[in-house]
Amino acid sequence: MAWILEDRLKPYQPVRSEPYLTAQIKDHVAGKYFPRYPNKRAALLPLFHVVMHEYGYIPTQAIDEAADFLGLTRSEVQDAVTFYEEFRLEPTGAYVVNVCRSIACELCGHKDVLAKIRDVFGIEPGETTDDHKITVFEVECLGACEQAPCALINEDLHGTINPGDFCATLKALPAKAAGGH
Amino acid sequence: MAFSGPVLLKRIPNDPQQRKLLRYADYVATGGYASLKKAWGMPAEDIIKLVVDSGLRGRGGAGFPCGTKWTFLPKESFPRYLAVNFDESEPGTFKDRYLSDYDPHVLLEGIAIAGYANKISTSYIYIRGEYHKQAKILEEALLEAYANGIFGQKHPGTDIVHNCYVHRGAGAYICGEETGLLESLEGKRGWPRIKPPFPAVAGAFAKPTIINNVETLACLPYILEHGAAWFKSMGTPSSAGPKLFGVSGHVNRPGVYEDELGIKMSTLIDKYCGGVKGKYRAAIPGGVSMGILGTDQFDAQLDFDIGRKYNVLGLGTAGVIVMNDQTDLVVMLRNIVRFFAHESCGQCTPCREGTAWMHKMLSRIVAGYGTAKDFDLLLEVGLSMGSMPGTTICGLADGANWAVKTFLQKFPEDFKKRLKRDVVPGVTLTPAGAAV
Repeated sequence: MAWILEDRLKPYQPVRSEPYLTAQIKDHVAGKYFPRYPNKRAALLPLFHVVMHEYGYIPTQAIDEAADFLGLTRSEVQDAVTFYEEFRLEPTGAYVVNVCRSIACELCGHKDVLAKIRDVFGIEPGETTDDHKITVFEVECLGACEQAPCALINEDLHGTINPGDFCATLKALPAKAAGGH
Repeated sequence: MAFSGPVLLKRIPNDPQQRKLLRYADYVATGGYASLKKAWGMPAEDIIKLVVDSGLRGRGGAGFPCGTKWTFLPKESFPRYLAVNFDESEPGTFKDRYLSDYDPHVLLEGIAIAGYANKISTSYIYIRGEYHKQAKILEEALLEAYANGIFGQKHPGTDIVHNCYVHRGAGAYICGEETGLLESLEGKRGWPRIKPPFPAVAGAFAKPTIINNVETLACLPYILEHGAAWFKSMGTPSSAGPKLFGVSGHVNRPGVYEDELGIKMSTLIDKYCGGVKGKYRAAIPGGVSMGILGTDQFDAQLDFDIGRKYNVLGLGTAGVIVMNDQTDLVVMLRNIVRFFAHESCGQCTPCREGTAWMHKMLSRIVAGYGTAKDFDLLLEVGLSMGSMPGTTICGLADGANWAVKTFLQKFPEDFKKRLKRDVVPGVTLTPAGAAV
């Protein structure tokens, strides 16, 4: 969460001439989300969901561009974006595996899932495989406690996980994800 | 006491193989949206009175009377918003997800009824970010509802057009706190607001706003259909109506089950969940912030009076987490406190620092380096109003302390036997008990 003692905002990444918020993204957000709220600021979360879906993470440059787009200061956008855990500020692998670690999943063996992932892929929570295919995170409750232990692979929930089968599923995934994050 | 069959789950079969997503046509074919049509023929005040009379209390955790909440809206102050709290993030809670997985239109009908009764301009369904599939289901259901004139139309007899949108959160438990939710809706970090002003007076975008839980709104069509007396015939005098219970942990058939409020936990587990896996030891009655029920409280009645009767905070979301006698309760409490430490928004110092320190102390106890002082201090903080509980803007710190103090009070031996031993092989202990 926001206050945890790590600087979530990474050092400034190189600026690229091509904007991250393309005209297409801007039109989509302006057309679909602006009319929903009395001000533009409220479209901040929907906008960054679109950015996440498009790029898999939020580049620093996109924060600047969003500030211009929404009529806010850079700090206001930064303030909001860094608060939300789902908004990743660094590139991840093609598949983000969010393994739930909250109480029901701990009761039902989430540690076995993480141990199996460590054995098979050699990564700990927070790490990415060398081929940039899989990044694994430990997250708090995914709201699927009856299916404990559970995990999200990108947007898809996998419940009642058998660690071996789960890793086999991960292995079998194509190198590039079809959907967004 | 007259619960004769599922109400909220009546369209969702018990057999998982037969469950499927109900589309608009399926919903209407089983009597859906008839209550909304009925509501549109009634004066708005009569609907509010009906909901007040039904005794419907909020299903999101606090159990505040729903109709009473509606009456707090200042008269003739427009526009008004409805924020639907679908930020279901408390560990152990998944009932709303289940409802929207299969029967999303019952929520939309509830929103339409609440919208009409309170002359709402815009309803926002604030759904947690992790519910990707559910957000898509709701978006599709909304398209169907718009196409069929449920939304995007004027409330009958007024000039107010009612729109409804899905607004996705992005992974923050605190956004389930009603004012944190509003901040997040406005595109800010989800920091709870100081009250007053209450959301009913100045909520989303500083306008009058009602915030209701998904299940609360899903009750409305049935109250309209069958009346307040029918609703009150279920449950206990102070806790009327049917309730969804999400049961997880060490039971044979975890899942969402419906019965009336006031059902004994033992009945719920034996009748619906196929009993406890192993031997019952403890259970959390409604999400981890509610505290724990002891071994002798297996027969606890699950209703809004549970807090007073069994020394827990309350019924919460009725997400029951069952633990058998093989469970390490110290590790479980550490898990709970880690959750709060991680999800504390960091706005109030006692919570930001306190939850993190409690996590450190419990980690120390788990590792075998805890001292009697740690135990006493955890209990003292939990029990004294004004050190951590009662000093913060929202209830997160209170919830964390209810978990800590009830674990320590009800299972002291589990903790005490883990406290510091004199000799830890290979490790030198400092006087404070910290490992070197």
